[in-house]
Amino acid sequence: MQLLLIWLFPLISAVVLWAFGPRLRSWAGPIGSALVGVPFVATVMLWRDATLGAGVHVPLVSWLPGWAFGLQLDRLTLIWTLIITGVGFLIHVYSMGYMDGDRAYARFFAYMNFFVFAMLTLVLSDNVVGLLVGWGLVGLASYFLIGFWFERPSAVAAARKAFVMNVIGDVGIMFAVFVIVAKVGSIGFGDIFTRFAAAFTPHELFLVCLGLFIGCAAKSAQIPLHTWLPDAMEGPTPVSALIHAATMVTAGVYLIARFAPLWSASPDAQELVGVIGGLTAIAGALLGCAQWDIKRILAYSTMSQIGYMIMGVGVGAYSAGVFHFFTHAFFKAQLFLGAGIVIHALANEQDVRRMGGLWKRMPFAFVAMFVGVLAICGVPGFSGFFSKDAVVYGVLATNHPWLYAVGVITAGITAYYMFRLLFVTFFGAYRGAVDPSDLGIRHPELAGTSASSGHHAEEEEPHQHAPSWLMSAPVAILIPFSIFIGWLDYGGANAPWQRFFDGAFPRAAETTPVLSETVSTVLVLLVVLAGVALAYLRYGTSAAQAGAVDRLRTETIRMPRVLVNAYYFDAAYDVLLVVPARAVGRWFVRTFDPHVLDAAVHEAAISAQWLGHLFRSFQTGLVRTYALSILFGVVCIVAYYAVAFGAGR
Amino acid sequence: MIVGPDNYVALSAVLFLIGVVGVIARRNPLIMLMSIELLFNAANLALVAYARSWVMNTGHIFVFLVITVAAAEAAIGLAIVVVTFRRSQHVDVDEVAALRG
Amino acid sequence: MIAFWILALVLIASAVFTVTAAKPVYSVVGLLVNFIALAAMYLTLQAEFLAVIQIVVYSGAILILFVFVIALLSSGTRPFEVGPDKAPRIVIPAVVLALLTLAGLTVTALHTHTAVVLAPSTGGAAGDAGAFGSIANFGTALFTTNLLPFEVTAFILMVAVIGVVLIAGDVAPGEGAPPRRKRRANTREPIVKDTLVR
Repeated sequence: MQLLLIWLFPLISAVVLWAFGPRLRSWAGPIGSALVGVPFVATVMLWRDATLGAGVHVPLVSWLPGWAFGLQLDRLTLIWTLIITGVGFLIHVYSMGYMDGDRAYARFFAYMNFFVFAMLTLVLSDNVVGLLVGWGLVGLASYFLIGFWFERPSAVAAARKAFVMNVIGDVGIMFAVFVIVAKVGSIGFGDIFTRFAAAFTPHELFLVCLGLFIGCAAKSAQIPLHTWLPDAMEGPTPVSALIHAATMVTAGVYLIARFAPLWSASPDAQELVGVIGGLTAIAGALLGCAQWDIKRILAYSTMSQIGYMIMGVGVGAYSAGVFHFFTHAFFKAQLFLGAGIVIHALANEQDVRRMGGLWKRMPFAFVAMFVGVLAICGVPGFSGFFSKDAVVYGVLATNHPWLYAVGVITAGITAYYMFRLLFVTFFGAYRGAVDPSDLGIRHPELAGTSASSGHHAEEEEPHQHAPSWLMSAPVAILIPFSIFIGWLDYGGANAPWQRFFDGAFPRAAETTPVLSETVSTVLVLLVVLAGVALAYLRYGTSAAQAGAVDRLRTETIRMPRVLVNAYYFDAAYDVLLVVPARAVGRWFVRTFDPHVLDAAVHEAAISAQWLGHLFRSFQTGLVRTYALSILFGVVCIVAYYAVAFGAGR
Repeated sequence: MIVGPDNYVALSAVLFLIGVVGVIARRNPLIMLMSIELLFNAANLALVAYARSWVMNTGHIFVFLVITVAAAEAAIGLAIVVVTFRRSQHVDVDEVAALRG
Repeated sequence: MIAFWILALVLIASAVFTVTAAKPVYSVVGLLVNFIALAAMYLTLQAEFLAVIQIVVYSGAILILFVFVIALLSSGTRPFEVGPDKAPRIVIPAVVLALLTLAGLTVTALHTHTAVVLAPSTGGAAGDAGAFGSIANFGTALFTTNLLPFEVTAFILMVAVIGVVLIAGDVAPGEGAPPRRKRRANTREPIVKDTLVR
């Protein structure tokens, strides 16, 4: 029963806020946050039940044999639900501060709650149709939230792009689901996993997995369906934190982990997923080195990290991939929220070239982002270290040496661009235009309040800024998680994490790895240090910081075109898809519509008119023509008699 | 040769057709009405021929009726013609085309 | 019989003359000849009473009526049949259709069953009271078997008289029929005085 409430509370909240938003005004924030926090508490309370055996199962509706809808909470779902409701709750609270004064405050929380509901639908379903429904709703929520400030054409375009690419993925996953349900005859996961082996040939299984993966690629921003994620940063920062870092983009990872039995039975599919995951990891990392927008850097880092996760679950290291999701949720949310504090304080400035020297002026934000950066780079002791090593080692253990190399190199590149971000943003002299006295020198916790200029794009009336603890408290809570949560996987096979997932996933085909785990760890560490050193040399030394303005300008000019244009994916899509689509649209408007459709309608009218004219021509008004027509009638009658009776005597 | 009812009927048909062409091709209403009389008479001829052929009175009665009707119709038709063309310049049915659509 | 052929020729010639005459009076004369020849044709068919009726009613009444109307309408110098021909060459389809009708009728007539070819008449002498086609025979049939048609005939004639009076009668000189007074402004032609009174 609690499971039902966990699932429905966000929905109720969303509906209430939608309907009564304008009247609720600033109560929308607390309501929205509370109705995400309560499910979190309830999930924690269900922990014990969820980890016992097959977990909690709540059947809801049973239509036909094999079509039973319900909710389930097993170990995999539990992890996701905790993140969704827990990190979601923190981000809701953060939003109460960040979105304060926005004209559409209530609508924001309605959409955020709707997103939480959709994501919960996705993970709590015990059947593949519910998952699909959640999948689609999550895409819809993403569209709402990316285009939240819909007066901005760039936001609308980004939302549309995200939605269209998600739909492409939806086609893939839908076909796969249709085939599965048709062949297996049931929609429940339990039935599917027991029956699929008999229902599918290996070739069919590969195609089904391919279809599922197309959905994953779109939702999790893997190559080649990744181009929507950087543009999705048009949404407010809490949105980026919740959806495009911690939860929605990980839906693909969840899908693969959930369908683990299917993937493990199709090595070809696993190879494909692993390769694309690795490719995305390194491609995203390289692109992150070429960005100047703080949120875009984080977006590409998300893409890269999810590549890691996908690579992990793709090769069969399920618990490693899921663990990386778990840690990544915390430190990526933290990074985004910290970036949000900076952006908010600098009056919506997002270009790092116009930042600098903020570590003194915003120490809290600096600490938050520093911890996040250390975590994501995999510095030993921090959470990312454990999870990334687990993934990378899992890849090696399943005999994918090339992917392993990719993972290691990417770790180095990650370190490089994250520290680049850190140095350029927080060190050196301030290069921006906002009056430094606004930055709350003495009171760092005032960053983001009325002490700063605090403009939002949509502000109209003078307002009371919310107390900033709303924004700093969630970040403060996340910091220890980013640091310590990694220790859950410490201890090899006896680690709590491993024991938690013991038996939940099919065992991967493991070979004796070339390197031992220790050697691998050291190797990764060395590569990371190399990345950090490179970043320091380029951006961190005092010499670099002194001539920062010129250096950054030169670097902007000299940035390789291919990176700036994101490997020309956008350009390629534009030429291959958008331009032809526009041309088709134009053809329809200019040629088809006026000459075919309008002409058909016109012809219908004309032919009616022509027919009318034809009949009118009979109405001459002359008696003689009427007499002629009578004679014609006589001829007809005579002809009838001649034919009917004249045949013979 | 023997003149059978076929001959009379053929003659009747020819007269009928001359009358029909007259109705259609002439514009003077009076001549049109006269052509209509021709039509009646053609029909009468056929009726009488068959009455003689079957040796029955019925044909003659029918002819009687036809003549009556023809008379009535001629009277009324002429009255209409008079009324219509009383004030008009030309006596031409083509001018009475008010029903033109 | 030779009579048939001569009469047939006269009938056709007069009919053609009626239809193609230039002036209506010529047509009336042509029609008169047609009716008389038709009466003679009835005689060859032993329909004596009808022959007389044909002369008396048709030639004697109806044609006179035609003559009167011609006189009524052609007073003054008003010519007949001017004005543009709005359906020129309509005679072509008319003739074509007429010939088609003729063909159809001929085919039908030739192939249908016919009775005895002109049986000799029952009762030969003229003046025989009960002979076929005689007035006594006709009268008997009219007043006994076919009484209803006879009464209906009377009714038709009464209706015709009333109709004529209503349509064309009761007009003071110089005016149109009362209902037409209101529509006087609609006539295209210049208003001329009623030509009956000069």
